[in-house]
Amino acid sequence: MTGFSRSGLSRSGAARPAPPCGTAVGKEHERARSGGARRFRLGDWHAYLFVAPSLFGVAAFLLLPVLIVFGLSLFDWELLSEPEFVGLANYERLAGDGEAWHSVWVTILYVLLCIPLQTVLALGLAVMLDQRVKGIRFYRALFVIPWMATPIVMGLIWYWIFDPRDGAINRALGLVGITGPDWLSDPTWALPAVALVNVWQHTGYTMLFFLAGLQGIPKELYDAAAVDGATPVQRFFRVTLPLLNPTMFFVSVTSLIGAFQVFDTVFAMTDGGPSGSTEVINFSIFQTAFREFDFGYAATLSLLLFVIILVVTLVQVRFFSKRTTYDLS
Amino acid sequence: MRTPIAALLGAAVLALSACGSGDAGGGSEKVTLTYRLWDEQQKVGYDKVMANFEKANPGIDVKVEVLPWDQYWTKLTADAVAGTAPDVFWMQPTSFPEFVTKGVLADVGGLKLDTAKYHPTVVQTFTYEGKLYGVPKDWGIVGLLYNKDLFKAAGVEMPEKLTWAPDGSGTLLEIARKLTVDQNGKHPGEPGFDKDKIKTYGFASWNHYQTQWMNWVVSNGGKLLDKPFGTYTFNDPAGVQALQFGVDLVNKYNVAPPATQTNPPTGKMTDIFKRGEVAMFPANNALLPFVAPEVAFELGIAPMPEGPAGRAVNLNGLAEVVYAKSKNKDAAMKLAAYLASEEPQKLMADEGYVFPAITSLAQGYVDYWKSKNLDVSPFLEEAKGTTFPLPVTTGFTGFETKMVQIFNDMYLGKLTPQQAADQAVAEGNATVQ
Repeated sequence: MTGFSRSGLSRSGAARPAPPCGTAVGKEHERARSGGARRFRLGDWHAYLFVAPSLFGVAAFLLLPVLIVFGLSLFDWELLSEPEFVGLANYERLAGDGEAWHSVWVTILYVLLCIPLQTVLALGLAVMLDQRVKGIRFYRALFVIPWMATPIVMGLIWYWIFDPRDGAINRALGLVGITGPDWLSDPTWALPAVALVNVWQHTGYTMLFFLAGLQGIPKELYDAAAVDGATPVQRFFRVTLPLLNPTMFFVSVTSLIGAFQVFDTVFAMTDGGPSGSTEVINFSIFQTAFREFDFGYAATLSLLLFVIILVVTLVQVRFFSKRTTYDLS
Repeated sequence: MRTPIAALLGAAVLALSACGSGDAGGGSEKVTLTYRLWDEQQKVGYDKVMANFEKANPGIDVKVEVLPWDQYWTKLTADAVAGTAPDVFWMQPTSFPEFVTKGVLADVGGLKLDTAKYHPTVVQTFTYEGKLYGVPKDWGIVGLLYNKDLFKAAGVEMPEKLTWAPDGSGTLLEIARKLTVDQNGKHPGEPGFDKDKIKTYGFASWNHYQTQWMNWVVSNGGKLLDKPFGTYTFNDPAGVQALQFGVDLVNKYNVAPPATQTNPPTGKMTDIFKRGEVAMFPANNALLPFVAPEVAFELGIAPMPEGPAGRAVNLNGLAEVVYAKSKNKDAAMKLAAYLASEEPQKLMADEGYVFPAITSLAQGYVDYWKSKNLDVSPFLEEAKGTTFPLPVTTGFTGFETKMVQIFNDMYLGKLTPQQAADQAVAEGNATVQ
């Protein structure tokens, strides 16, 4: 996890000299642009030679497609007809496209439903599974299994679980006298239902990162905290959480990106409905490109998603870089 | 010792080169065509059809390729852009305008087909600017599936013909009311009837354009399009009245399940019918193989109800089209000509796959299902009357999802039929080129 603290987290140099529990945390220091990084200068072509293979990969499979998508967004192209250059017309259309902004709103709602719950659950699970108990590996694996399943397959299975009549959920609710809603055909419940499936699927995977982060925290810190009279709750908030900061950054960035790009489960469970209540941006892009064959505008929507994710990620970088990073090496 | 080895080597080289030239000679004559379809079940039949074709045309190999419906159109579009679409492939009415106007499909006029042999609606569907752009393959039609057990339990006979009118008169609503029962055995309109505790419904009215509201609209004298490749017109008074009737069956007369249970894509009307909770269910005959073997009740088939303008039902024709840029166009045309002939269409009919486009062969399909104890002749009867295709105009495939969403809100009661029709027509006409 320390790899992450190197990538700019501590660049701000705002590391406050305030270790959580007395003197127990010792080796905290700033690592901004120091040490090894200076050995590589721009002129050192050997370095480029070494990174060339992956640089090629990034250029060919990341930069180039992004540029192509940007280029596409300047065209009106319905696949079967010749592309026609329209300048910024697609962007003008986007500005007045209520449906596109509706899907941005749906996406944000979805992210808010998913990420906090998923992160808290994953952290809780990680703390519980960070124990030396017999068979712990089995339990850990158990929680990661949902992540290994194909989202489309999961979506289909949950589609049946959510069935208002024969589904497991409403059957169970029926046993205690509650008439469950028509989960996936009720605009109020469809998005939470899709979010729940994603939380269920990704919590185990997120938990893995927290688990790795937890195992990087020296046990002496807890001992020292206990000696100082800290309760388990205090130990969690004063030792565990601050030391998980780099992990939290990684988890937060990657799971937010993943959540903003949700598609498969929506496709399998609701097809964007009912009444557009689960029409996230990625689904609109799919719809525009592959059902309406309007590739230019779909490219414009893709760039919108790109910009949103970029901004959200930059905000997180700023947020986390203002916080202290502890070097545990 | 040297000489024999050299001789052997020489002989081997000669033999090899002989083989090589033999192969090359055969390859240049043999043509491989790709035939693409989306129906896994029908592939079984078409494998036989192609074997027959290959026997009669030793120079042509046909590769039969199945792609599931959802991928079919995406892949086909991408292939058409790349110039590598299959030589011969299936086409359906609402996708046809997109492909024919962009020059993807070849005019099959050169085959000199006798179009009078085929069902006229199928021929009309695949005609563009006076020319036929596909070989009429088969058709499916909407009919009324019904649960004979529920009819018996309610003491109701399926009349000779059902009728409906926007004001709620006619035998359809009357019978649907008798078949709708709540948990206390009360029917809609009776004192004490509880619409929230309905046990069985009389009729399946839901947001499914092909089997539902489009049929109401046309049988009320409305029109979906002003003309083929034209603009949408179903928001005129006849259209709106018809939509109102469809919605009333659900929300006013309470003889059909609520939209929350039936709206696509999550709704499960077919399952509700299969479970025996709705008595009458308009469906395409193509659904039969998925319903007939799975129901625990006795299944009946009747013609669709007649509206004020008589009976008008959707007849969905399919065609086999030839790729305009096929590298083996002559061979592809030969295959198309064969597919248009009686031999393959008879095979597909007699084995119960489809109603063939050649009208005189339709009895084969009826006989097949008779052997399965199902009388599908009402479908055939309907096909002889007024039928209409799905809207054949550009942009429908893109408009479809929006249209379904708008009508979902209409069936939920969130939009009035006039609002829904106006919105849908406006959205739809914006996609017409």
